[in-house]
Amino acid sequence: MKISLNWLKKYVDINVDNAALEKLIDSRLVEIEEIIDESKKYDNIFVVKVVECEAIPDTHLHLCQIDTGAKELTQVVCGAPNVHAGMLAAWIAPGAIVPQSVHEDAPFVIGKRKMLGKYDSCGMLAGADELDFTTDHSTIVEIDPEIAKPGDKLADIFELDDVVLDIENKSLTHRPDCFGVIGFAREVAGVLNQKFVSKPAIEAADYKKIDAKIADQAICPRYSAVVLKKHGEIKKKYLSYQDNLLAKAGMRPVDPIVDATNYLMLLTGQPLHAFDYDKFLAVGGTTEPKVGVRLAKKGEKLVLLDDTEIELIDTDIVITSNDVPVALAGAMGGKSTMIDENTKNVIIESATFSLFNLRKTQMAHGIFSEAITRFTKGQPAYQTLSVALECADMLKDGFEISEIIDSGYTPEENVVKITTDEINELLGTDYPLERIAKTLDNVEFGIKADGKTLTVTAPAWRTDIHIKEDIIEEVGRLNGYDNIAPVLPAHATAEKNKMVATKSQIRNFLSLTGANEVLTYTFVHGDLLEKAGQDVKNSYRLVNSISPDLQYLRQQIVPSLLVKAYDNLKAKHQSFALYEMNQTFSRSTGVDEDNVPIANNNLAMVVVDNTEETKYYLAKKYVEELGKKLGIKFEFKKFVPVPKEAFYEPKRSASIYIGDKIVGCIGEMKYSVLNKFKLPRGVAAFEISLEALTEFATLKKSAPEISDYPTVSRDITITTDKPYEEIFEKLQAKLTARDLVFKITPTSIYRADGKAPSLSFHLDFADKNKTLDASEILDIMSELEKIA
Amino acid sequence: MELEKLKSELKALNAEYAKIKTIPAEKRAEFGREMNAKKTALMKAIAEAEAAALESEVEPLDITAPTAPNQKMPAFLPSEQGSKHPLMTELDRVIEIYQMMGFDVVEPRQLDDEFHMFDSLNFSKGHPARDGYDTFRTEEGYIPPAHTSTMQHRVLKAYKKNLEEGKNIAVVVPGRVFRNEDVDATHEHTFYQCEGVYVSKDCTLGNMLGILREFFEKYYEQKLDISTQPGYFPFTEPSLEFKIEKPKTLGGKKGEFIEMLGCGMIHPNVLKMAGIDPTVYHGFAWGGGIDRLVMLRYGLKDVRYFESGKLNFLKEF
Repeated sequence: MKISLNWLKKYVDINVDNAALEKLIDSRLVEIEEIIDESKKYDNIFVVKVVECEAIPDTHLHLCQIDTGAKELTQVVCGAPNVHAGMLAAWIAPGAIVPQSVHEDAPFVIGKRKMLGKYDSCGMLAGADELDFTTDHSTIVEIDPEIAKPGDKLADIFELDDVVLDIENKSLTHRPDCFGVIGFAREVAGVLNQKFVSKPAIEAADYKKIDAKIADQAICPRYSAVVLKKHGEIKKKYLSYQDNLLAKAGMRPVDPIVDATNYLMLLTGQPLHAFDYDKFLAVGGTTEPKVGVRLAKKGEKLVLLDDTEIELIDTDIVITSNDVPVALAGAMGGKSTMIDENTKNVIIESATFSLFNLRKTQMAHGIFSEAITRFTKGQPAYQTLSVALECADMLKDGFEISEIIDSGYTPEENVVKITTDEINELLGTDYPLERIAKTLDNVEFGIKADGKTLTVTAPAWRTDIHIKEDIIEEVGRLNGYDNIAPVLPAHATAEKNKMVATKSQIRNFLSLTGANEVLTYTFVHGDLLEKAGQDVKNSYRLVNSISPDLQYLRQQIVPSLLVKAYDNLKAKHQSFALYEMNQTFSRSTGVDEDNVPIANNNLAMVVVDNTEETKYYLAKKYVEELGKKLGIKFEFKKFVPVPKEAFYEPKRSASIYIGDKIVGCIGEMKYSVLNKFKLPRGVAAFEISLEALTEFATLKKSAPEISDYPTVSRDITITTDKPYEEIFEKLQAKLTARDLVFKITPTSIYRADGKAPSLSFHLDFADKNKTLDASEILDIMSELEKIA
Repeated sequence: MELEKLKSELKALNAEYAKIKTIPAEKRAEFGREMNAKKTALMKAIAEAEAAALESEVEPLDITAPTAPNQKMPAFLPSEQGSKHPLMTELDRVIEIYQMMGFDVVEPRQLDDEFHMFDSLNFSKGHPARDGYDTFRTEEGYIPPAHTSTMQHRVLKAYKKNLEEGKNIAVVVPGRVFRNEDVDATHEHTFYQCEGVYVSKDCTLGNMLGILREFFEKYYEQKLDISTQPGYFPFTEPSLEFKIEKPKTLGGKKGEFIEMLGCGMIHPNVLKMAGIDPTVYHGFAWGGGIDRLVMLRYGLKDVRYFESGKLNFLKEF
């Protein structure tokens, strides 16, 4: 929302400089997105009188002699059809920038030049578009001789030396009253600690009344309108100050009726809509207006002002003429009752509508007008009729009121009782009663004080005030939150979150051992699930995703990592391990006690290089060593896959156990899956439950046993077809049985073609009580060699 | 061979399909449908047979061994190659500071419901304020949360016992949140926030400002000026935007402020819904982005790197 500072100054006495004002608004009212300095925009643009005006033969141009206030006349060529001797025009002097182009990269600077090879033309007579008032390029602007004379600066006449504040609307979501200049000015008075006094509203005289048929007050809390009959012409000949205000707010001047409704909306926050009265009767086939407000019926259609035909939904509110829809309430008028240059009589509507319905209308039809932006904040009902009457007053040169419509409303009385202690205790302040009362009184709250208790009555436009906290907010805000001293509360100790701590530990370990942590999206494409052989139906599906890439919640992390593995191989990284800790969801997992899907926190890793050698054993090493850090002993047993693990090759994968509980799986991908991901064979991955890691991680560590007697080192090779683990466990068992302190280090596995593998180990062992002699060592070794 | 048989069937089917020209026009559609159904089934069978053929080549692996026959013992990748994700490093640091300040940590969930996202936070049903969050939704109506505030209700309920024991509630909720918007250099649909919730009998807005300033002073390891702006959130009253003076380490100059988070005194309705009596207790809450902290710290210009998985980027951290 754009607000002209000059306009604001008409309603509030701003007694600080612009920088201080901006800071006050920014810190006590609303965020200013941008401050647009227009103080130089109209420099060197003057009011001039066209003294002579001669047509240049065979062209559309005129040769004009203009009075710029200087002694000599100046010659300028003008192509506008309305240029004529005697008029006052706006002249952009040589060297000045055309205001329309001020914000462009290469602003257009006016000069002196020769036209048609022989006519000197000095400067330019400006159209409303060049002055950045409208987009109308057909004519030049004409200035009222009653307000200006040749040589006046255009900026002085129309108060164009201005600063425009561009306000962030979002933080005013609950403040419909601030969407009008008057309401905004009231708040500015408040932050300046000045008393604001609203002008009394126009009262309705004794006009003839017509009824409106409101189907339900919930959709239209109040409907007011004035019917205006034409009695004369409104001459819209001259450029006006109002044109400038509309232009600054981004609403181009169009015609006197529409401009009046737009101007009043900007001023009061109450949107108005003008219907062509005669068209309104014709559509309804009546002789008196039969105005109705109701919900649209499914399948009803309406052609809007902008010529688009929409199919109405059953939450849309429509204005009807004898039950025929003529406007989409709050959003846009209909084509069939649109005012045009032949309009004689008009109905000016001023109403409030359900913001809930209008929100749906806005979404369904994509309408984001200035009016609907205000309505969806919940405009209060108190001022509908008075604003309509004000509009009639603005148009009184051409129109007079013949009838009025007002469905009436029940004023809300919002009264809050609060003590100064309650205010100070929540804010952390010690504001005295007088200061609190003045703060609220400045912005027209009703105040009654009784000891420390205040009875606060919210003004009619503050329909957002209901509870004590609403009053506390006003007091804190208008006095400046920045004036509240930051104070630390009493200190307490915190509990450790074990999963967060475990994740931190995992992150430290894996990164120190050369792996890279990545984060990938929780949402995946359906194709990814299919490539991984996962059942798409087992994934929660998003219904409003911006892209098919983000359509499903992932069931596992590994498939996302496989995609990143491919990307990184392509980027010439040769050997790497990517890991991620994140949440996964499967529909089959069900919901928790809050009835929301159970989240599974997983640690996943893929190990990749550009060879086809298996990376299973490196992946396993990561799991085993991580286990040692966390105090967890993992076991790798026959793969028992669940459906979401369908992409692992069962012959080259294992289930990971802690005790007898499966906590994850590890393995290579199926060849067909690797082909789909364009990855080389040998890629391995694992995915483990972080809940399990957190549950079983322990601080308990057992100290290694150390013997005081010499350690014997020997190598041993055992050739066998039995699983590795069986041999390893037997070695352990034998050495344990002899009550030795020992360490077994695998050194290699060799296999000649068609033969059983040879498993080599390095052994370190020592007796706890004595030095082992040669025969004892021989005895041990020969026993071990028989294991195969 | 099964596969060859299927392939020759497909060939035959294609040949038969050519007959479509000789079939009376009115029967062509049905014939086409039949043939297509057969073809789809056959293609699927071929794909399965091909996958099966591939899998039959697979030799089993000794899942218990430390390495494969004739392959070297596995060694970890070089330590200098490893990296932590910068967002996670930052999150860990944020958590560490809040823990020092006495805050418990609760992690949020990445799929939640309308009640926790909106209703429990005092958004009235169908209120336009709900639109400001651009939420994703699943078929079932679940919502990947658009802010960590979604956890407020759970935290209040879970920690209510603290109040009963005469202690305060002091919890932070760091985690992943989502907005349904197009991605560009400064917008991501997936990002991280950290929420804070504090409830006691006598805490004030001044305490909130004190805690937030303390956090950022510890975080940036310098004294900082703060400044605020009125804001609007249905779940806090009053609501504020909180800014800090841009720290020297980030090249800040005196008087230059940067927006850090939204905050406010918890709305009595939010406390009430969690079973906490707002006439006895009050509290404050805040929430701010983590991605921005990282971008400021490293001078990053493009938020899209975070979830890119690009090692060229990640290895630098």
